Amino acid sequence: MVSFLALGGRCFYLQYYRNKHYSEACLIQQRSYRNLLPQRGVILDCRGRVLAASNGTQTIFADPQVIEDAKTTSSELAPIVDMGAHIICQLMLESSSPRFAPIKVGPSVEECAQARKIYGIGVQSDWQRHYPMGRLAANVVGFTGRDNRGLEGIELKYNKELSGSAARNILFADVRRRPIRAKQQDGVLTNGKGIILTIDATIQQFTRNELIKQYENYEAESAVAIVAEPKTGAILAMVSLPDFDPADFRTTDPNNFRSRAITDWYEPGSILKPVSAAIALEAGVVNKTEKIFCENGNYHGKGFGRIGEYRRGFGDLTVREILINSSNIGMAKIGQRLGKDRLYDGLKLFGFGRKTGIELPGEIDGLLMPAHTWTGYSVTRIPFGQEICVTSMQLVRAFCILANGGRLVRPFMVRAVVDNDGNITELKRPPPPVGYIVKPEVANWIVKEAMASVVNEGTGKRAKLDKWQVFGKTGTANIARSDSRGYSDRDYVASFIAGAPAEDPVIVVLVSIRKPNRSLGKGYEGGVVASPVAARIVEKTLTYLGVKPD
Amino acid sequence: MSQFRFVFVVLCFTAVLIFAVNLRSANDRIFYELCACNADMSRLKQELGTKQLLLEGLINPAAISQRVGESNTDNKN
Repeated sequence: MVSFLALGGRCFYLQYYRNKHYSEACLIQQRSYRNLLPQRGVILDCRGRVLAASNGTQTIFADPQVIEDAKTTSSELAPIVDMGAHIICQLMLESSSPRFAPIKVGPSVEECAQARKIYGIGVQSDWQRHYPMGRLAANVVGFTGRDNRGLEGIELKYNKELSGSAARNILFADVRRRPIRAKQQDGVLTNGKGIILTIDATIQQFTRNELIKQYENYEAESAVAIVAEPKTGAILAMVSLPDFDPADFRTTDPNNFRSRAITDWYEPGSILKPVSAAIALEAGVVNKTEKIFCENGNYHGKGFGRIGEYRRGFGDLTVREILINSSNIGMAKIGQRLGKDRLYDGLKLFGFGRKTGIELPGEIDGLLMPAHTWTGYSVTRIPFGQEICVTSMQLVRAFCILANGGRLVRPFMVRAVVDNDGNITELKRPPPPVGYIVKPEVANWIVKEAMASVVNEGTGKRAKLDKWQVFGKTGTANIARSDSRGYSDRDYVASFIAGAPAEDPVIVVLVSIRKPNRSLGKGYEGGVVASPVAARIVEKTLTYLGVKPD
Repeated sequence: MSQFRFVFVVLCFTAVLIFAVNLRSANDRIFYELCACNADMSRLKQELGTKQLLLEGLINPAAISQRVGESNTDNKN
């Protein structure tokens, strides 16, 4: 009777007083949590080739906190993962995290199954980001960090769409920790969306090949090349050197991460002359046939100092001849006729002094000072590309406007966003052309007559092609000194903007090479350094796109 | 005769009990098998993804350009 009462009392005590304690212990024992990590979305080029994708990976890890004897555990694990026991022991002891010491990434299924049996050893599943094309579009695609968050490029700009959303399953587990029943799910697992770019990996590849050859040949500081469709603004290729391998970004100089086409500005020099000329023709301050006296190479006056030419002086030149010979004095006089307000307004319409809105992080505005701050120097220098700072992308936009008959165009790089089933959730159509920046006849004349003549007769002869009529303009811009006033006479930016076919432009190509090494004695001008590269890129791109020869 | 009937009833009762226990845990067993199959499917998808990425790495323009470059270098040597 006493025993029975004692047992009854004990039961009452456990059920009533210790109910909460044992309920919680039971739940802890029974529950199993499974974090569901979303697969990061893919990034594809315009033809569906993979630029970035995530794939599942396993990691065999050790929990140093629960392992009593690291040497014994290492000895047990060593034959399973085919690694030295001392290496495993070292990884366990030197791990920065007290609960997670990665031992092997990407083990086989058998290795995982065997390793799990050892106390203190577990297998973690995670997503690993892969970049099959390596450096090819690294400055555009960017890269992700350890936690699969975008840190640069498209990976950063579209991190929210690419990330998806995680969920957590709470399950009941048996004594062997096998899931036997679902309890609840926190959140809804959604894999990341895919991004389709306008970039064509083939065009990107031979653009990079051509640019890197010249960049190394001239020991330049940096180089940029952009290929764009003038009618839509789609960017087919964008290369920035020096670049990096996104799979190995931790050992890379962080300066190489940025896409210099949008983050670096420079004074463009003569390459801006066709834009200034177009503004002047549109305003009616010059016409195509009148001759402007170019002072035989020496032009000076009150309020604007002294202006010279790069090589020889010129006499009377038409606008076309000013562009063919790249006359600074001719452009200065055109600027004076325009006046600061019309020149400023024209440059703003062409998009200088503001971002293009391209879908990459870090774009800068460039530098176009307000017209009220301009002096007599400004109105004579800006027409030939000094006292104004532009990015390569802004230049491409301006020449796309000229190449498509004067219509406004906005560069873009993302063609579509797709969900996991491949359905397009967002199609980035270029906005329809809403108006003319310059009249079509002005734009067409600049491209088909003036800029084509630059290639046929002028400073851009090295860009001439047999199969297509190329139009273009060279630029050899002094770089301002960083330690004093004025320009360096050793450092230049050699640029060339080209497009073809002149009759109906399909592509516009900009090549810009910063600080080619003059001491090599190979030249430094845009016509020597940049124009051959642009010509080869134009030729290969038009052949690839199947454009019929003229 | 009644002895055989008794044994038969006991056997039937035992069988029913065993079946009831088995049936009771069937849901849990099926759920576990479902989880195991899902894990297998994920693993197979992962292997497929690995193969796809390997293929992409071989046929993309960057890789082809590199192999052509190496081939040209070998021919020159």
